[in-house]
Amino acid sequence: MKILVVNNMVPFLRGGAEELATHLVLNLQQHGHQAVLLRIPFAYQKAEQIYDEMLACRMMQLYDTDLVIALKFPAYLIPHHSKVLWLVHQYRQAYDLSDTKHTNIPQTPDGEMLRQCIREADNECFRSVRKIHTVSSVTQRRLKVYNNFESDLLHPPLNDPERFTADGYRDYIFCGGRINVMKRQYLLVEAMRWVRSKVKLVIAGPADEPSHGEMMKTLIEKYNLADRVQLHLGFQPREKISQWVSQSLATAYLPVDEDSYGYCVMESFQASKAALTATDSGGILGLVTHDQTGWVSMPDPRQLAVALDSIFENRQRTIEMGWAANESWLGKETSWERTIERLVA
Amino acid sequence: MRFIIASSFVPFIYGGGTFIVDWLHSKLVEAGHEVETIFLPFVEHQDAMFEQMLSYRLLDLTEAADCLIALRPPAYLLRHPNKKLWFIHHFRFFYDLWQTEYCHHKDNARNNEFRKRVMDADEVGFSESKHIYTNSQIVANRLQKFNAVEGEVLYPPVIKPEIFQCQDYQPTIVCVCRLEGHKRQELLVEAMRYTKSNAKLILAGKGSSDYLPNKLKMKVLDYGLKNKVEIRDRWISEQEKADLFNHCRAAAYLPYDEDSYGYPSLEAQHASKAVISTTDSGGVPELIEHRKNGLLVEPTPVALAAAIDELVEDRALAERLGQAGPARIAELDITWDRVIRKMAA
Repeated sequence: MKILVVNNMVPFLRGGAEELATHLVLNLQQHGHQAVLLRIPFAYQKAEQIYDEMLACRMMQLYDTDLVIALKFPAYLIPHHSKVLWLVHQYRQAYDLSDTKHTNIPQTPDGEMLRQCIREADNECFRSVRKIHTVSSVTQRRLKVYNNFESDLLHPPLNDPERFTADGYRDYIFCGGRINVMKRQYLLVEAMRWVRSKVKLVIAGPADEPSHGEMMKTLIEKYNLADRVQLHLGFQPREKISQWVSQSLATAYLPVDEDSYGYCVMESFQASKAALTATDSGGILGLVTHDQTGWVSMPDPRQLAVALDSIFENRQRTIEMGWAANESWLGKETSWERTIERLVA
Repeated sequence: MRFIIASSFVPFIYGGGTFIVDWLHSKLVEAGHEVETIFLPFVEHQDAMFEQMLSYRLLDLTEAADCLIALRPPAYLLRHPNKKLWFIHHFRFFYDLWQTEYCHHKDNARNNEFRKRVMDADEVGFSESKHIYTNSQIVANRLQKFNAVEGEVLYPPVIKPEIFQCQDYQPTIVCVCRLEGHKRQELLVEAMRYTKSNAKLILAGKGSSDYLPNKLKMKVLDYGLKNKVEIRDRWISEQEKADLFNHCRAAAYLPYDEDSYGYPSLEAQHASKAVISTTDSGGVPELIEHRKNGLLVEPTPVALAAAIDELVEDRALAERLGQAGPARIAELDITWDRVIRKMAA
């Protein structure tokens, strides 16, 4: 089949949705399809420009294309008779972020008109597509609440699952991902002050702000944790990340109200490592079940310390939970093969 | 500097128009610039031309980069205050091909009005551009003739000229390009009926369908040319292409009325090989001068056979014409250094 994957693009920015689009195209090709990525520029800084950008997408013409898989607003407005959405998120400033400081749409009659226009264009598009899949339960709920459309939950699979296989269980807990206040790696460092066991912690990833990376270093020095907490700041190659995960005792990931499963936990479960997370970590709780596939703790250093000690001291139990985590993850069948089957069906 | 390179494409069709974009991208990056490439869809269907042109026009990339380089039409309708054009061709059916045998638009009032509107839209793009470069003198002349616009010729180099290094002058004539009617490989096969020397012809390249390759193979059999003509009707690697040019006596390239000298002419000249072409080939004579670095003859089998025989029988002549190639390329300054200098100026 000739399949066009349609995403928007903000020039010079790359994030999770761009990675998802790239891997979707690669995997469609590996499954025998002719797949091409179309990236439509989306500037959105000026609210009134959004009208033009929506219209631009609606004016585009596609020929000789069997299927369109579209990921984001306003790129999904491109007309096509056979369109499937794999919705990453809508234009949140017109929905759940419309009355907060995050929105660039003013609280004026003009702003209200733009919001209305976005919602109507969205609804018309959602009515016309063959199928809507959403990447997370949060996106699914928003679509239901704000637009009253049903959708199928289709979690993005791991892009390189083969890298993540259990390679022994050493004495450290690994925490990967971008390092920032919302991901709360600092809470783990604070927790290490209160542990009683000899558990170790390895934190690796790029700091969003250099100052936050410095703050982490200062904390480790201040609490004299250098021999038990390793901090690797900066972008890490996949080989290194997969090695840290695959040789860990367990992993930890404590984001505030994350949208989706989180790649860190998916990788951890793929490698048969149970994960420590927090009660307010949002989508992560869709994967981690307390005392079965990991530990769900209050986001508080002393309580996290208790969990860290328990992971270390009940080593056999920890390893068994890692196996259970792997089993529950594989049971979800989020492979690219299965994903493409559903998108192309 | 931050550059956006913009061009149009037809999804699922691959061709020369995308190479120049990809190569420019990688050379700008090599020169230390930040580059983002945008391909937007465009199909030259009369009924949908203006909608599609409008979709380009509605997108404003002002904030996204310091400079926008636009190539294939109508990418120059994208909005940016610092826009440069590397103009490679018009919508030719409304320009130089209007009312020729290739043009399928009837000469009626509606189509004349339509044609005028296309030219009006082009004029907007041209007048907004800070500088207009063309890929050949022919295209610059057309801009002058139809739009009264000055274009500066900026010849497109190949990406890796260093792979073309003369090894030998074996008695073969090679023609490396897509197997298409207007590239006139058929004329070369016909010419081989009349050659008297021990010349061998190699045609290499992929066709958009089986039609022409099969027709050529039939002719080879019908004329009993099996030992004189070899057809490699497939996509060939850069290395295989280099080997062909590096070992041959001379190259042949006979497009009908092409917009530019064509990459095959340039590649042959990098390999110090003479180019046989025809007087009606369009842009080829901008690079190839008769009896200086190649032979330009009438587009007939007999004239072409004579040219082939002359170079096969007189090896010293073939070497002299071929070895004039690198000096000719230097004379025209067909280098990425020049391209990057102009674009970053």
